[in-house]
Amino acid sequence: MRVLPWLYLAAGFLFIYLPVGVLVLFSFQEGTLPVPPFEGPSLRWYAEVLGDDDLTAALLNSVVVAAGQGAVAVTLGFLAAYGLARHVVPGTVFLRALLIAPLTVSYLIVGLGLLIVVQRAGLGLSLWTAGIGHVVINLPICFAIIYASMGAQQQNAERAARDLGAGEFDVIRLVTVPMLAPAILAAYFLSVTLSWDEFIIAFLLTRFEVTLPVEIWSMLRSGLSPRLNAIGSVVFLVSVTAVVLAEVLIFRRRR
Amino acid sequence: MKTAIARLLGTTMLGLAAGAAAAQEELNALVWCDHTDPKLIEPFEEEHGVTVNLREYEGTGAALALLEQSRPGDWDVLVIDGIDVFRAVEAGILAPLPEDELPEADFFPEVVMKENNSADGVTYAVTEKFGYNTISYNAEAVDPADMQDLSTVWSDKYEGRITIYDYYLPVMGLAALASGIDTADITADDLETIGGVMSDMRANAASVAGVVAAQTALATGEVDIVVGGGEWLTAVLQEEQPELTWTIPDEGAVRWSQSIGVLADSEKPDLALEFVKYIVSPEGQARLATSSCFWGMPANMKAGEHLTDAQKEVLRWDAQETYLANTQLYPAPDTDLDIEMQDLWLETLQQ
Amino acid sequence: MSARADSLKGWGFAAPALLWTTAFFVVPFVVMAAMSLATLDGRTLIWGLHADNYLELAEERYLWRAVLVSLEITATVTVVSVVLAYPLAWIIAFRVPARWQRLALLLAILPFWTSYVVRSYAWLLVLAREGVVNQTLMTLGIVAEPVTLANTRIATVTGFVHFFVMLLTLTIYANLVQLSPNYRRAAMDLGANAFQTFRHVILPLTLPGIATGAFLTFVLCIGDYITPQILGGNTELTVPQVIMVQLGRRADFPLASALAIVLMALVTLAYLACARWLRIDRL
Repeated sequence: MRVLPWLYLAAGFLFIYLPVGVLVLFSFQEGTLPVPPFEGPSLRWYAEVLGDDDLTAALLNSVVVAAGQGAVAVTLGFLAAYGLARHVVPGTVFLRALLIAPLTVSYLIVGLGLLIVVQRAGLGLSLWTAGIGHVVINLPICFAIIYASMGAQQQNAERAARDLGAGEFDVIRLVTVPMLAPAILAAYFLSVTLSWDEFIIAFLLTRFEVTLPVEIWSMLRSGLSPRLNAIGSVVFLVSVTAVVLAEVLIFRRRR
Repeated sequence: MKTAIARLLGTTMLGLAAGAAAAQEELNALVWCDHTDPKLIEPFEEEHGVTVNLREYEGTGAALALLEQSRPGDWDVLVIDGIDVFRAVEAGILAPLPEDELPEADFFPEVVMKENNSADGVTYAVTEKFGYNTISYNAEAVDPADMQDLSTVWSDKYEGRITIYDYYLPVMGLAALASGIDTADITADDLETIGGVMSDMRANAASVAGVVAAQTALATGEVDIVVGGGEWLTAVLQEEQPELTWTIPDEGAVRWSQSIGVLADSEKPDLALEFVKYIVSPEGQARLATSSCFWGMPANMKAGEHLTDAQKEVLRWDAQETYLANTQLYPAPDTDLDIEMQDLWLETLQQ
Repeated sequence: MSARADSLKGWGFAAPALLWTTAFFVVPFVVMAAMSLATLDGRTLIWGLHADNYLELAEERYLWRAVLVSLEITATVTVVSVVLAYPLAWIIAFRVPARWQRLALLLAILPFWTSYVVRSYAWLLVLAREGVVNQTLMTLGIVAEPVTLANTRIATVTGFVHFFVMLLTLTIYANLVQLSPNYRRAAMDLGANAFQTFRHVILPLTLPGIATGAFLTFVLCIGDYITPQILGGNTELTVPQVIMVQLGRRADFPLASALAIVLMALVTLAYLACARWLRIDRL
């Protein structure tokens, strides 16, 4: 009985890591097909992927969109959380529900709605429209995380600062933001991650310049190749490095 | 924190501004995936000092809707299914092409297809590439003789060993050929017969797959036969797995073709025409024929001078005369029939 | 400061977010709802109050089948994921020594950060006829012939479950560690055995976490296009796949919108079903 939980844990981890393992293994495949038998190891597909201008452009687009939309989402989310938590606003419950609402809707619906409006309005699709869509889905998350962490502790500190003569913006800048920094960073980090990996909104709302998931999707539609394994492994490596850095730099400090 | 955000915003703006500043003259093309190969596009970009922006699309209906809704100048070049050129012409979105500047005299005569590419004597598009939707198979796993007879291909003998290519027109075309109906003569009355054949096909199929899924399935031994496959599907696999091949059955097969044209709303018609001319030139044709997304026969016979013997072998250059004689263009339904065919197709998928 | 001025200030701070959500979420949603009542004549869009799309949905077999397929897959995925993730979260929370818990949890969710499109593709390779699973089964002598796994509903469900087990492990774990150990101790002291303690104490207390996770799973799963498209082999179509077909091949925005509204309605029903336990703002 004692070993059962550990067996389960091992099985769970095996399941979770199976596709990742296969993906990474066959990224080193020598031949042109990412299926057994494994021949290699070879780095030819990594060389090809890193030399692919479309892919690197898409990767850069993804970074820019993720960082930019995260900044907007976290700023708007913070301001809204501050406004609703620190001021008595009639209808707060409704406003909170409105801000959270996009979270309960499939990304596909958010993307389709925006696509219809953009087309009807005769505007063009671009990375900007994809970024707007990403803010829509990430704003609720940023708002919820920051709103939930606005406790009485900060309120007391804010009040103390105000009593000492600080104006509201100084209070926000010097007291609220620093005290909420972990939540704000967590919200930013989460929204960057979600945007970085988001497909359907970016697919529907971009035109020539696309984000990485969309580029990977068109690669996937246009040919079977260990290149997909290689780019997948690279993305994984980049993301994991970011996660580990975030874990070490941001979340460790909270304790 | 604020400065960090400001910096991030700043970087974002810079990135986007840099993108805008780098804008030299641009050409916007709505294309099929074979046109996105840098090997094909870069020589043109370098020669003319321009940037070619490419967007892939899936169905003609969606492309036409997109073009009708876009602003003048949004799009310059369109790659379109050969059988759908008339729909684009009817919608008034294609500009006439100067026939004397097109090397159609060098084309395989069967694929010039004036009747498709022109209306009232005015040429609106030019054929750039063609190939076959037929039967791809694993020669080590099935009896090649069986592959010459369509009804055996999707019979119980190969139950669960088949994948169907996920595009309704060619597959329904093959179903029509198997029932002795010419693809050009399909009417709503034939759909019941065709539906019956498709139903049999679907019952024995393991999956209905797009290009990559079909390639994966074939290469991994998931299935041994792809109905609707052809050189465009197996060419990229053949180097490593020579047993993956294709044939044209005795009943014949379906021929696909793609055409390219300049959009009436283009604000750079001259550059767009240059692009079209590049694509149908022997060099452009050779690159397009062996594009990384899918291979296919170039319309221009002179492309042969720029292809290696191995490449010609894979494309079956020397067998084209027979193949062209044994194949029919795939069905070209009008809007109403098209919707009925698509519904029948989705109905069969959900069987 | 007067109450009025205070409330105005609050509005001021919330205004940008409210405007954004209204302009880019509420308005598009309303337009989409209106679009679902429009109809197409050829490629010409006719606005108005037409029930055409909804009638077509009820009549065309492939359309309503898609709704059923989506529901079946989503229900299976939600149940299987919860059942698999709960013990995993439990073991990490109560068996793994405290100092390793964070690491164990991080490891359990690390593959989240593989690209989502690539993850489904990787499962295709794993489940292929010559893939790892079949090779293992054959080596162990469990099956003689390779089993068809890729391009089936099993593959779609597996791909989904993989993702949601990670997600649910996280939410359920968060819930479990918040429980005071005193509850367990008290139940044991009152003579409850391990199972009774779980059934009557721990499970009810973790229901909100489960409900939140399950709801999230439902929303994300039923609206997902990539996983069934890559893994399902098109042998059956889900609602998002049918929506994308309408958009990509026909540009039939009215029908696509109607399907999206149906999707939305399903999510709302799921929300109501678990609303009792949900704390959506605490996700």
